[in-house]
Amino acid sequence: MVKNLPVVPTAKAGSLVETPTGITWRIQYPEILANCNICLECTLFCPDGAIVQQEGKLVLTLKLCKGCGICANECEENAIQMIPEYSGVKGVFR
Amino acid sequence: MAISIADLSKEELFGQGHAGCGGCGAAVAGRQAMKALGSRTIITIPASCMATLGGSNLKTTWQIPFYHTLFEMAPAVSSGIRAALEAQGIEDVNVVSWAGDAGTADIGFQSLTGAAERNEHMIHVCYDNEMYMNTGGQTGSQTPMYAITSNMSKGKAVKKKNMLAIMQAHEIDYVASASIAYPLDLIAKFKKAAEKPGFSYIHILAPCHRGWQIPAEKTIEYARLAVESGLFELYEVDEGVRNRTFEPTFIPVADYLTTQGRFKHLTSEQVVKLQKSINVYYGRGGDEE
Repeated sequence: MVKNLPVVPTAKAGSLVETPTGITWRIQYPEILANCNICLECTLFCPDGAIVQQEGKLVLTLKLCKGCGICANECEENAIQMIPEYSGVKGVFR
Repeated sequence: MAISIADLSKEELFGQGHAGCGGCGAAVAGRQAMKALGSRTIITIPASCMATLGGSNLKTTWQIPFYHTLFEMAPAVSSGIRAALEAQGIEDVNVVSWAGDAGTADIGFQSLTGAAERNEHMIHVCYDNEMYMNTGGQTGSQTPMYAITSNMSKGKAVKKKNMLAIMQAHEIDYVASASIAYPLDLIAKFKKAAEKPGFSYIHILAPCHRGWQIPAEKTIEYARLAVESGLFELYEVDEGVRNRTFEPTFIPVADYLTTQGRFKHLTSEQVVKLQKSINVYYGRGGDEE
């Protein structure tokens, strides 16, 4: 029989997802290219959980991404490209 | 036997929106470990980067119960949590204490060795970034020889303490080393540790790009180079049986060391000395005198 864990949380579980800490730090963002073979390795290497697998597909949540570039560096197919965040005078946050 | 990434849990129990730096090795270690441990887990973390990037008491990135302990007592708190669970008859919960290299090998050592001696039913994880990064990168006992830190500008003069051998000497159920560059190996070790009835110790090499003075995107790459060069051995000691889980390809240690900012002052004699010690350790000859 599964009993509920004896927990009195002081913060709602996972509440930082709504207000991610590092979103304004990002100076480059990843883009998944067409030659991705869905090996899913980047889902385990992303520190921020910005790339996750959902039903066999990669889902990129830019809201969570800090733009560290680990995914692009580790991708064996070179299927992830880092693109500078500020293009032109007025930069745009996605 | 072999785990595939597609079969892993889809739950994101830790890491989304965390407060750490971009490219944080500790966060990678946490995410990979939580894929193995699952939602029926209680985690205690002493003062460390891992505690702060979990969030303050108003917001948190953890989806599981997370207790921020004082610095020297995470394994002791975990022991108490296990005792409380046992008193209530709850058996399906993993109790984990997760400390940095200071919370494990230095200030946290007395509670760790006590919990290991009592063979408490819990897992202790040391995520090792080889410095006291949360307080500004000072030298600790897990800092490797020659590494420059914020309080040792000429590099550390003595060797890194072999924490895995110390824990092995406690004759606990399971001792393993892991690296964030080999996630499936790490996850397999966590799954094994979770099934043990006694104390398990897992030592994860989790580079900190700030302290190691490497580019943020190369965090995983350096965790891999450390293993491939033979400087960090991936192995497990399962009930006293030692087994190397990954055979390194033995790239020259210079490839790993000299590109890091903290080792940029290394002389060629020091590199040769380190290479020789690796060759001796792995029983590889062919090193001309």
